[in-house]
Amino acid sequence: MESGPESRMKNANKILTADESETPADSAGAALAPALEARSLTKRYEEVEAVVGLDLRVGPSEIYCLLGPNGAGKTTTIHLFLGFLEPTSGSAHVMGLDVAEEPLKSKTHLAYVPEQVMLYRNLSGLENLAYFAALGGKESLSTGRLTEILGEAGLEADAVHSRVSAYSKGMRQKVGIAIAIAKEADALLLDEPTSGLDPEASNEFSELLEQLKDRGVAVLMATHDLFRAKETGTRVGIMRHGRLVAEMTTDEIGHADLERIYLEHMHE
Amino acid sequence: MIRHIVRKEFMDVVRDGRFRWCAALVGALLLVSLGTGWVQSRNAQKELAAAQATARDHWESQGEKNPHSAAHYGVYAFKPRLALSFVDEGVDPYTGTSVFLEAHRQNDFLLRPAQDATPAQRIGALTAAQVLQHLVPLLIILLTFGALAGERERGTLRQLLATGIGRLELAMGKALGVAAALALLLVPAAVVGAAAIVVGSPGPATSPLVRGAVLAGIYLAYFATFIGLSLAVSARAPSARTALVVLLAVWVVNGLVAPRVAVDFSKWLYPTPSAVEFAHNLEQEMADGVEGVDRPDRAAVTQNLLAQYNLENVEDLPINAIGVFLQESEKFGNQIFDRNYGALWDTFERQGYVHEALAVTAPLLAVRTLSMGLAGTDVEQHRHFAIAAEEYRRDLVERLNGDLTENSRTGEVYLATADFWSQMPPFRYDAPEVSWVLKNRVLSLLMLGLWLAAAFVAATYAVRRAEVA
Repeated sequence: MESGPESRMKNANKILTADESETPADSAGAALAPALEARSLTKRYEEVEAVVGLDLRVGPSEIYCLLGPNGAGKTTTIHLFLGFLEPTSGSAHVMGLDVAEEPLKSKTHLAYVPEQVMLYRNLSGLENLAYFAALGGKESLSTGRLTEILGEAGLEADAVHSRVSAYSKGMRQKVGIAIAIAKEADALLLDEPTSGLDPEASNEFSELLEQLKDRGVAVLMATHDLFRAKETGTRVGIMRHGRLVAEMTTDEIGHADLERIYLEHMHE
Repeated sequence: MIRHIVRKEFMDVVRDGRFRWCAALVGALLLVSLGTGWVQSRNAQKELAAAQATARDHWESQGEKNPHSAAHYGVYAFKPRLALSFVDEGVDPYTGTSVFLEAHRQNDFLLRPAQDATPAQRIGALTAAQVLQHLVPLLIILLTFGALAGERERGTLRQLLATGIGRLELAMGKALGVAAALALLLVPAAVVGAAAIVVGSPGPATSPLVRGAVLAGIYLAYFATFIGLSLAVSARAPSARTALVVLLAVWVVNGLVAPRVAVDFSKWLYPTPSAVEFAHNLEQEMADGVEGVDRPDRAAVTQNLLAQYNLENVEDLPINAIGVFLQESEKFGNQIFDRNYGALWDTFERQGYVHEALAVTAPLLAVRTLSMGLAGTDVEQHRHFAIAAEEYRRDLVERLNGDLTENSRTGEVYLATADFWSQMPPFRYDAPEVSWVLKNRVLSLLMLGLWLAAAFVAATYAVRRAEVA
C-alpha cells in the first residue's frame, strides 16, 4: 500500500464517476452494512440539477461530512434521506429501507438536527424534548431520564424547565442533539449544525458527536466548516453543482490539504 | 402518538396569552348572551302566558252577548317562546308573537320585538347563536391559521416530520388540540345551556334536551368544518400571514357576504309583494271574489234554505238564516285567505329552499337554518303556529255561527248565556317534534354534511401535499 503525503493526496483527491461504486468508505466504518446509502441519487428541479448521481455510504460509528458551497446540494441530499423530497431517479436508503417506499419506517431510524433547531417557544426545553421524543417513539422516557439526556447534551440544569423563548441558539442546538440522543436513532442527519455557534459551543457539539459515534451512530453532516469537518469527521465528501466531486478519509490528510483540495474543486 | 400532539397543541394554545384573552372574551360573550337570552325568553314567556290568561278571562267574562258580536270581540293567540329560543331568537323579533283572531279576517301578527327596540338595542343585540356562528369560527381561524404554515415558517415542521410522525397524524393531532382548547369555553357554555333547559325552560317544547343535543351536534359539525378548512389553507398557503388573510376572507364571505346575497337572490328569484300591496290585493278579492270563488249572496242563501225546508217565509225556518249566511261568508273568506296567504307562505318556502341550496357557498347558511329550526324560531315553525292559530279561529267562528244558527230564528234578538263562552275550548298550541324540524331541513343537513366532508377531504389532500420547507 502506498503511504506518505503524496499518495494520501492521490487517494483523497479521487474524483468519482458513476461506475465507481467502491468508495474509500469501504475502508472505514462503511465496511459494515451502511446505515445511510445513496444509490445514483438524483434530484432535478426543471432546469436545475440539485443532486446528480450521488453514490454515498455511511456506516455505523462513522461521521461523514459533506462540504460544499451554498447550492452544492448538501441540504437537498439530507432532505432526500428524510423523504421531504422525492428523488428524480436513484434512491436513498436508511438501514436498508428505501426512503421513497417506506418513508415513515425509514424515519424511525433517523434523527435530524437542522441549522437552526426550532422549538416551541411556549414550552420548556424539557417539554420540547418530551414531545419530540414521544413523536419519535420514545413515549415511555421518564422526566428524570429526559432531564439526564438534556444534561448529556450539555444543557445547564437551570435551563431545563425554562421556556425556550429565552434560549440562545447554542442552547436550542443542544436540545436538538438531546432529541437525537433520546431517539436512539441509528443515523443522524445534521444540516450546518454549528453555523452561528461560538467556538466553545462548537467544540462541545463536536464532543457530543464523538460520543454518538462511539455509540455506533452513523452521522451525515452538511457543513461549510472545513476545520470542524477535519476535526470531527471520519470521512469528508466535497459536493459541487450537485455532484460528489471528491471523497477522502480525514486521517489521511491534514487541515491544509483539505483546504487546498476544497479550493481546487471550487475553482474548477 | 396523536395524544402527544393533542396535549402539546393544547398546552401551546392555552399558554398563549392571545388565546387566553380571545377565549375569555368569546366565552364571556357566550355566557352573557345565553344568560340574558334565557332571562329575556323567560320574562317574555311569562308575559305571554299572563296575557293569554287575561285574554281568556276577558273572553269568558263577556256576559250575555250575541255570538257574532263575540266573534268580532275576538280573542288573542300568543305564540309561546320555545325552550331553546334563548339560544337563537331567529325570526321571532320580526314575525311577531301574537295574533288577534276574529270573524271575517285573518289578521297579521302583532308585537314584533324588533319594532319596539331602541336603535342601541338593534345594534347591540347579541345572541348565543351569533357568537357560535360568527365569533367561534373566528377564534378557530386565529388558532389554526399557523397550524402548518407557521410550523413551516418556524422550521419546526421539518423537525416534526423527521421524527417519523405521519402528516395526517400530525394534522389530526393539531385539529384535536384546537378542539380541546375550544372545549374550555364551549363545554361550560353547553353545561350552562343544558342547565338552563333542565332547571327552567323558558317555554314549552317537545324534547328540549334532544333538541339541545342535536343543536350541539350541528354546531360541532360547523366548528369541525372550520377546523378542516383552516388546516387545508394553512397546509397550502406559502406563509402563515397568507393563510390568515385567506381564512379571514373565507370568514367574511361566510358570515357577511353569503347571508346578504342569499336573502337578496332568493327574493329576486321568488319575489314577495309588499305589505301594502298584499293587503290591497286581499281586500279587493274579499270585495269582488275571484274566478271560482264567489262572494255568497244573502238572498240566495235564504232561498236555498227555504227550498231545503220547503217553506215560504224566512221567519218559519227552524234555524237562523243569518247564522248560515255568516258561516257561508266565512267559508268564502277562508278560501280567499288560503289563496293569498297560501301563495305568500309558498313563496317564503321557495325562498327558503333557495336559501338552503345556497348553503353550498357558505356553511353558515345551513347552520343558521338548522339552528333556528331546532330553537323553534324559524319561518317554518312560525307558519306552523300561524296555521294552528288560523285553524282555531275558523273553528271558534264556526262554533259561534253554529250557536247563532241553531239557537235562534231569523230576525230574533239572540244573546248567548254568560256561561257559553267558557264552553269554547281555549287555544292550545303544540310545537312540532324534532323529527318534523329535521325532516323539513334535510337540505341544510345535507349541505352541512357536504361542507364537513369537503373540509375533511381538502385538509387531507392539502396536508399530504404540503411543502415541508
